[in-house]
Amino acid sequence: MKGWRHYTLVGGFALGCVAVIVRLGYLNWTEREFLQEQGDARSVRSEVLPAYRGVVYDRHGEPLAVSTPVFAVWLDPSRAGLTDESLGALAELLELDPARLSASVQSNGHREFLYLKRRVPWDRAQAVRELGISGVHLQSEYRRYYPASETTSHVVGTTGIEDSGLEGIELSFDGRLRGEHGRKIVLKDQRGETIKDLDYVASPKFGDDLNLSLDLRLQFLAYRELKSAVVGHRATSGSLVMLDARSGEILALVNQPSYNPNELGSVEVGNMRNRAVTDVYEPGSTVKPFTVLAALESGRFAADTVIDTGPGYFRVGGKLVQDPVNRGAITVGEALQVSSQVGIAKIALDLEERAVYDVLSRAGVGEPVNTGLPGEAWASLDDAGLSSLVGRATLAYGYGLAISPLQLAQAYLTLATGGVRVPVSIVKQEVVRPGTRVFDADMIADVVGMMEGVTDNDGTAPKARVVGYRVAGKTGTARKVGASGYDDERHVALFAGIAPVSDPRLVIVVVVNEPKGDARGGGSVAAPVFGRVAARSMRLLGVRPDGESA
Amino acid sequence: MSRLYGWIVATLLVAVTVSGVQVAFSSQKVRQLHADLQAAQRVQDEELAEHSRLLLERSAQTSYVNVERVAEAELGMIFPDRVEPIEP
Repeated sequence: MKGWRHYTLVGGFALGCVAVIVRLGYLNWTEREFLQEQGDARSVRSEVLPAYRGVVYDRHGEPLAVSTPVFAVWLDPSRAGLTDESLGALAELLELDPARLSASVQSNGHREFLYLKRRVPWDRAQAVRELGISGVHLQSEYRRYYPASETTSHVVGTTGIEDSGLEGIELSFDGRLRGEHGRKIVLKDQRGETIKDLDYVASPKFGDDLNLSLDLRLQFLAYRELKSAVVGHRATSGSLVMLDARSGEILALVNQPSYNPNELGSVEVGNMRNRAVTDVYEPGSTVKPFTVLAALESGRFAADTVIDTGPGYFRVGGKLVQDPVNRGAITVGEALQVSSQVGIAKIALDLEERAVYDVLSRAGVGEPVNTGLPGEAWASLDDAGLSSLVGRATLAYGYGLAISPLQLAQAYLTLATGGVRVPVSIVKQEVVRPGTRVFDADMIADVVGMMEGVTDNDGTAPKARVVGYRVAGKTGTARKVGASGYDDERHVALFAGIAPVSDPRLVIVVVVNEPKGDARGGGSVAAPVFGRVAARSMRLLGVRPDGESA
Repeated sequence: MSRLYGWIVATLLVAVTVSGVQVAFSSQKVRQLHADLQAAQRVQDEELAEHSRLLLERSAQTSYVNVERVAEAELGMIFPDRVEPIEP
């Protein structure tokens, strides 16, 4: 009797065991994939480990864009253990409205993920962690700060909330700055807390730092002077580009209006445009040095060749070319110094059909600068109009072509280097890249000598002068195209110059768009900006004075 | 024969015990390393935050505007309106 009971019990257990084993085997064999997925979906999560974005520096190592670790605070509403008290504390720490937070938590109750606030600073996030509310999690991320703010915003650009470049250098060098995000697989418990790291799929790779060619000090003072000119002359916008005449590096590039990249909320889209790179203008008289260069190259003209500009006007085709006064017989140098339309047009018409066009092409006008700054405008320089006399005359004094301030600076760089075209760059160059000779050095010296006369008392831009240094340049005042042809009321004031003349170090182009008031010309609006910026820049750079002290 | 079985069973028992202890050790080590890694990451984050804070502070101190202000207001320096080269 006893034996029978024993065997039944053991047999029952054995049967039960077999049944369990068979079921296990069955599930393992037929449903394995489905069950594993379901299990993982409830407990295994992949987490992104954000990479630290590289720092953007200026040429001397001053930071222009720096990332700092912050946190995104997120909530799993389906598992949140929020009481009125903890919700109040959380709302206060995150500076959120408690009523709205509560409503948002309730309306998203079926979800598992809800951002409460992003970019929460380090100390505040630690305070949130210490509240210990279940369902509230921190996710590390980075916030980008731009210490030079509006001064460098057009060049450096901005990043979006996901830390990818949206504008400027941040956009064009995004691949290099961004690095690579890492990823890890974690095991979570029922409350959503991480209990174990299962696997590191990839560690985050930090982005590379980037040294721009900008000199923050020069950038600051260029920005200040340009801003005061744009505000003072009630202009709509303005740009200034400063190049290193030896290396072709961009030392300063500023625009007005600008914006604060640290607070993008209220920025007008137009203010974000890097006008020095994206906007084109007719350069007006600033191309005249190149016309004079073409004249010297022809062998038919020298600096002291006399041209008769009387009676102060003449007709080309159907177009009247005129000077404000009858200047009579003047030399080529004087024609450049006083910016005589008649003199320059007469020179151009005496040259080969393509002479001026060829000089401009060799100077790089019409070619992209290729700095890598986004949105670079295409210069328009075409040879379609050269067959007509009017086309050749207007090209000679800077109408019928459109270039950006950066492209104008690139062209003037060939004058500053003594006829060598050097690539322009926004990234700091460790070695000077070799250029190609495009003009004869002696002829360039003659042209620059004539341009120095522009800043004499008899020239159009005495206000561009710098105490202690010799400077050369050329003014430009271009009428803007309105609804019905050229508008007499709306002008662009330009000045492009080189300093110091004896051993050029800087090329500076100033463009002020639509100044209002009595002073509207390049000589009275743009030239003073050049003078002030050049004076301070050369002292900061320790350039040896080559002129007379005053 | 039964002696041989005895040896085999004994060896297997020892092997099982040793590997069990090893498993316990290695999972303890994994936990330890994980804790170390998290601590190191926290330190890295703190250092990065400190680094960027210091970078920003240095940039504020050395900004052109600040240097100019200190030079003019505190040190009584002026921006000269004439050039006097000093020959060495």
